[in-house]
Amino acid sequence: MRAPRFALGSALCFVALAVSPARAADELPRRTTGLALTPTQLVASVGLPDLFGPEDRERLTSGFVTRVLLRVALQEEGTAEPVALAFQRTEIVYDIWDERFRLRVTRGAGPDVHLEARTPDEAIARATSLWQLPVADAARLRPGATYVLAFRGDLNPISDELMADVRRWIVQPARGERRIGTGDSFFGSFVSFFVNPRMDDSERQLRFLSQRFDPRQVRALTPPGDRR
Amino acid sequence: MLAGPRGARAQEAVATPDTPSTDTRDDDETTAPAPEFVDPTFGPRYVIEDVVVRGNLRTKTALILAELGLAPGDTVVASDPRVDAARFRLLALGHFLDARLSVERGKQRGGVVLLVEVEERGTFVINELYPSTSAATAFWGGADVSDTNFLGRGVNLGGGFVASTKPLVVGAERGLGLRLHGSLPERQGPFGFGLAATALYNDGSEFYRQSGADGDADPGRFIAANVRRAGGDVGATRTLTRAWRASFDLRGESLSAALPATRLRTLPGGTTTPIDFDVQGGDSRVATAALTLDYDTRSDPVLPRSGARVVATLEGAPKPVSSYGFAKALVQASIYAKMPHGHALGLHLYGGAILGDAPYFDEFYIGDLNVLLPRRALGMSFSTLPSHNLLRTSIAGHRYDDYAGRVLVEYAIPIWRRRGFVYGGEAFAAAGILGMTSDGDPAVTSWRTLPVDLTGDLGLRLDTYIGIFTISIANALSRSSF
Repeated sequence: MRAPRFALGSALCFVALAVSPARAADELPRRTTGLALTPTQLVASVGLPDLFGPEDRERLTSGFVTRVLLRVALQEEGTAEPVALAFQRTEIVYDIWDERFRLRVTRGAGPDVHLEARTPDEAIARATSLWQLPVADAARLRPGATYVLAFRGDLNPISDELMADVRRWIVQPARGERRIGTGDSFFGSFVSFFVNPRMDDSERQLRFLSQRFDPRQVRALTPPGDRR
Repeated sequence: MLAGPRGARAQEAVATPDTPSTDTRDDDETTAPAPEFVDPTFGPRYVIEDVVVRGNLRTKTALILAELGLAPGDTVVASDPRVDAARFRLLALGHFLDARLSVERGKQRGGVVLLVEVEERGTFVINELYPSTSAATAFWGGADVSDTNFLGRGVNLGGGFVASTKPLVVGAERGLGLRLHGSLPERQGPFGFGLAATALYNDGSEFYRQSGADGDADPGRFIAANVRRAGGDVGATRTLTRAWRASFDLRGESLSAALPATRLRTLPGGTTTPIDFDVQGGDSRVATAALTLDYDTRSDPVLPRSGARVVATLEGAPKPVSSYGFAKALVQASIYAKMPHGHALGLHLYGGAILGDAPYFDEFYIGDLNVLLPRRALGMSFSTLPSHNLLRTSIAGHRYDDYAGRVLVEYAIPIWRRRGFVYGGEAFAAAGILGMTSDGDPAVTSWRTLPVDLTGDLGLRLDTYIGIFTISIANALSRSSF
């Protein structure tokens, strides 16, 4: 009676894994973030240069656009929903004739800002630095409450639909070959072996949390920080 | 400084600090929808003078160039979405781990050489393994394998086999099933159609109860008809939209069946009733035409969190072209919904009906419905196990039927994400109810006479570098079906 024993083992395994508290969100690293309050807004400053690996740095000179999306969520401790969200997106392209990098940076609904960089490192620094990014209206912060900023950086983000399509084609390479009929597995097969490249919703991701903070302890910034 | 209107503006309303989004991605702390980069005007404009492909050791350069969608003479901007599209079309071939596009200076300013660098992946795929055992058949095993890039031409060619020991059922013989299948993707097929063909050969036994109660799986209570099937099908597939795909298949088979001398079943009360073998003795043939529609919007084919997949097939076998005249409709659907904490709820529906006189292998089989029973391997069944009959109904007497339905509810809890060898894994639990019947079955007079049963599963589903694995109670029970 091997099967019932296996079934019992599987059930115990399921329960153990299901109740395990370890989740990716709980293991995010902390990164010290510069925080300040202008008369109207909470602003944050932090760098994410490690969003680029060595290969990504090399690919900056491909002649095609490299995209960087930095997202920030303000969360009040003990609540699931974010209080506010903000993002900055940057496009970098290397001009193979002028031999310099051109950047276009956009913050939220703000205007596009065009910049230039002479080296890959300079381009990366400009694309991955958040300098006094407005995150939330100061009026929305409750004095005495504890907040944290959750950061996520994405290199060349891919739309959910496109990613699903590519995943589907890779996982089911014999597309169109067989229709599902009686006798074929629809609910799930036991095993399928193939080289399965990982497809995430961006080429590279970086996530971390700021230090916890109480709005009363955030330094005031006067006059308001310059906006790039 | 200011660019013109951009498509991403539409999303800014939910992504700015003043208007927090209520969208909560599974395990994403930022919970913000990703603003899209859709402005194709940023960066220099290039005229492609030449295209150079590198890194393709097996795959033909012509195949890559055909998939690229960019050719000498074309003009592209550095942020042109066609560049990304070309990269993902190459990845979607399934032949490459990675594909990269870049440009080098051409002969004159503005002119470029487009470099396409690919990193090939192994394209040998094990689609299915069939090792199992049952009280009736000591062992059956086999595999279905494919090369998805045969001779580097993007052709999918593969085969499968299953073989069994001699079953303990009276008159049964060792089983052998063979398949040879190939397909041509749509981009390489005529008029944009994908083509597929399968050749099949099955030589084995089908089991029929000759005595004993419905729930008695003792192989000694069964007799066997030996059936040889040879034939195949050809089909054409066309992707209609991102979510919809249609296919049309023609199938032809030649059958040779040797029915047992015993044609009566002795019921527990001592009376007898004719056995319906659902196959004609001697030589016969099956010829069908089938239309299939496939709708797929799942967020992920392995560990879906949202979306749906619906596959509907309508198949007809006209007489006298076919010895068996029947029409068969089958709908299978899976619908997924996000739940809190990254969990997912799945609803799996299965429903089918056959009108007319279909051979047993085209009928609905209890093992294909009840995930706790052995499924057929290449269309052959090797077990006499009836449904577990957890509701104490009449389901145990149903092995092949003309009408079938199943509703399964599945709850999935993510366990791993983006860690090393195992990309993703989830624990899942599923429970559902199934039912089968045929014209001529006894009338339903009470709950006990309703041919329904419970089914379910519990286990782990893993998405790894070397493929997809499901480790579950159903797999254990259905592959060791004592």
